[in-house]
Amino acid sequence: MKTAITNTAAAVPRMLSAFNHFATNWRQNIIYFGFCAIFVIFSLTLSEQGFLDVNNLLNIVRQTAMIAIMAAAMTFVLSAGEIDLSVGAVAGLVSVTTAMSIAAGGPALGVGVGIATGLAVGLVNAVLTTRLGIPSFLTTLAMMGIAKGVAMWISGTGAIPILNDGYSFIFGGGNLGPVPVLMVWIVVAGFAGHMALRKTTFGRRVLATGGNATAAHYTGVDTKSIRTKVLLLSSMAAAVAGMLYAGRLQSGRFQLGEGDELSVIAAAVLGGTSLFGGKGTVIGSIMGALMIGLINNGLLLMGLEYSQQLIARGAIIIIAVAISQVRK
Amino acid sequence: MTVSPPQSVAVRMTAVSKTFGGNRALNKVNLEIRAGEVHALLGGNGAGKSTLLKILNGVYVPDGGSIEVGGVPLTEHSPHASRRAGITMIFQEMSLIPTLSVAQNIFLTHEIRDGMGLIDDAAAEMQARELFMELGVDIDPKSLVEDLSAGQQQLTEIVKATSRKAKVLILDEPSTALSNNDVERLFAFIKKLKSQGVAIVYVSHRMDEIFRIADVISILRDGKHVVTGPVEDFTMHSVVEHIVGKGSSKGSGFHGIERHPNQRSDALVELRNVSGARKPRNINLTLYRGEVVGVAGLLGSGRSALVRVICGIDPIVSGEMRIAGNVVKMRNPRDAIANKIALIPEDRRRQGFVADHSLADNICLPVLDKFSRFSWIKADSARQLADELIKRLRVKTESANNAVSTLSGGNAQKVVIAKWLATEPELLVLDEPTAGIDIGSKAEIVTLIRDLARQGKAVLIVASELAELLVASDRIIVMSDGVLVQDMPRTALDAGAEHIEDPTDRLQIAEQALQLAIQTRGTQ
Repeated sequence: MKTAITNTAAAVPRMLSAFNHFATNWRQNIIYFGFCAIFVIFSLTLSEQGFLDVNNLLNIVRQTAMIAIMAAAMTFVLSAGEIDLSVGAVAGLVSVTTAMSIAAGGPALGVGVGIATGLAVGLVNAVLTTRLGIPSFLTTLAMMGIAKGVAMWISGTGAIPILNDGYSFIFGGGNLGPVPVLMVWIVVAGFAGHMALRKTTFGRRVLATGGNATAAHYTGVDTKSIRTKVLLLSSMAAAVAGMLYAGRLQSGRFQLGEGDELSVIAAAVLGGTSLFGGKGTVIGSIMGALMIGLINNGLLLMGLEYSQQLIARGAIIIIAVAISQVRK
Repeated sequence: MTVSPPQSVAVRMTAVSKTFGGNRALNKVNLEIRAGEVHALLGGNGAGKSTLLKILNGVYVPDGGSIEVGGVPLTEHSPHASRRAGITMIFQEMSLIPTLSVAQNIFLTHEIRDGMGLIDDAAAEMQARELFMELGVDIDPKSLVEDLSAGQQQLTEIVKATSRKAKVLILDEPSTALSNNDVERLFAFIKKLKSQGVAIVYVSHRMDEIFRIADVISILRDGKHVVTGPVEDFTMHSVVEHIVGKGSSKGSGFHGIERHPNQRSDALVELRNVSGARKPRNINLTLYRGEVVGVAGLLGSGRSALVRVICGIDPIVSGEMRIAGNVVKMRNPRDAIANKIALIPEDRRRQGFVADHSLADNICLPVLDKFSRFSWIKADSARQLADELIKRLRVKTESANNAVSTLSGGNAQKVVIAKWLATEPELLVLDEPTAGIDIGSKAEIVTLIRDLARQGKAVLIVASELAELLVASDRIIVMSDGVLVQDMPRTALDAGAEHIEDPTDRLQIAEQALQLAIQTRGTQ
């Protein structure tokens, strides 16, 4: 009898706390509602233009894969209280170095050089940020220009063709039955990123560093090493994205990935990651990237001109971010 | 006392020194802390306690001396190395991550993992719940730290420190944010840890707590170790004497300030039974023009809460406040400014001025409207006011165009005071006006404060340094637990010392009297 009373007495606050949890976290989860809402609206209004065609939907996935992968890594960067503006330019640079290396020594060399390029850029970003204390906003802003400049210089501003079908299949062009290889990349990036952020000590330290760096340091977290690692991770993800661009378009060129940094950051913030550090969700970022792809696709099917698309896309992103950022 | 120690030595510090930019914070300090004892570390502001604790915890690297933990010398100085040696600390300034949950914070850097090596938050939550149950407090391990009250955060901090089987536990003012019930729970918990052989270093300004919980007392003064002994060997009097010292603290910068008695005139601000949301409670206080009133009390006694209520930062929940006889309602700091109340905040760099802007820009900021027409600033008249105030307060600078960041701490503080004088306030409230200012300038600031009162302003100051309160104030009120427990003229603290000629000795006796009044909550 007595236990029954205490049980029900305990159940009420538990329900209340579950409700509070939802009430305080709905903004973080708004991406899922937003995604569904936009999907439904486009399905109803654009069905005649072929929005719901399997091919069209798979195309959205193909177009969004690179943004999604970079956004998964950007989640770590933002959660640690840093930012990486160089991802788009690095993707372009890596597409060039990879294409050149494949031409010179085959796909294995190409992948190796691509990854090495990403590592090198990430290392420079990280050293400048954590050792010299230059804010990552500035380091990566400068790196954006440098990476683009190097890519233009070594490629002579031209496209470098990739004539290796195996490479193109794995990195972007191929399909496994009906499933595009790029979709596999998204799923892998999303799953690995989600587990790393939520379930490993590394992810926990990233969130701690961004939540309150001083407190984390006092608790024994090596915040410098954490910031180094997230910047490395971000450049590596940009390198992978660059190789995917190269594989999908069977060529490397400096324009690939241009302007992606904004879409990547917008995807992460749309997904519920805080620009101020301490909060982040990889799945949310990937959904954010898919939502941006969805919007682009829908606006295109509506027959809007490119100029109109830009305006509509900007407005939708502002509305979505504003809703997700409103404080309690 | 070192013959056949009943308990093993947990920490031995030998000749530990630390200097900050020519300022000796610690001078060859020797200290021995035994397993299973509660070792109280006492000392005034700037005595070196915090520095010592931060060295133990690995945040600071000592300049000299050695530290042994459990007989093993500490060779590396970092928070990580200290943690490995078994030292954990509960910080006065919180070390919790606001965006993580309670359980995630408790197990940060030693997360519970499942068979796959992945973090097991459910297990962490369960363990956290057990730890809280041991302590007898009700905190949901799933809630985010930013949603907790200050007291709950403090308890979380304590559970976090004890979750990793510490050999040495350092508690720095652990009871400040706690209610009386929580303090009792904390003490029970400390006794339990003690019986498990944990060495506990306990820092607190509350002496009643020290006498209840400590086994051994060590006292620091001016960066030096003064005395160590079992708690039975001390009385509150002797502890205060050791903390304040005799004839040795002429360096505090407050001695030899000439005090002209100020003449108080009519009442300006009257508080009638004023209470805030939690603190202060039922305050009756009148502030007069021409008088400096000092607020004394321990951390958490409601000193700053009183200031916040007077300055419109926190709301008055009950009671009334009158200014020059009229009842006023203040909802925000703007209302206070309109009522000619100026607050000179404690944290100058963050709340007082814009460091990269010029003196003139800083001084004129609160009164910009006066100097502008259609929001076009009339530079000449603004500049005139700035020059006038710079001259009046004797700010040492070549030009009003220099950035405030080029000034010394004392002169920067004068700029903050000048900024508020520009609003022509009737009541000036100063929170720790000389904190972080070099010794030479402290006296100057205090003289300036007294001059302002003589010119007819009412002045209220809060300061932790008792010598500062004693030389600056004409009247001193003592706060405890949010209540005003004593309201006395400054001269009352000279009772029994009138015959002493040396002003330094007299000040020291007054300091001891005031310290006792604070510790005994005004009952003496």
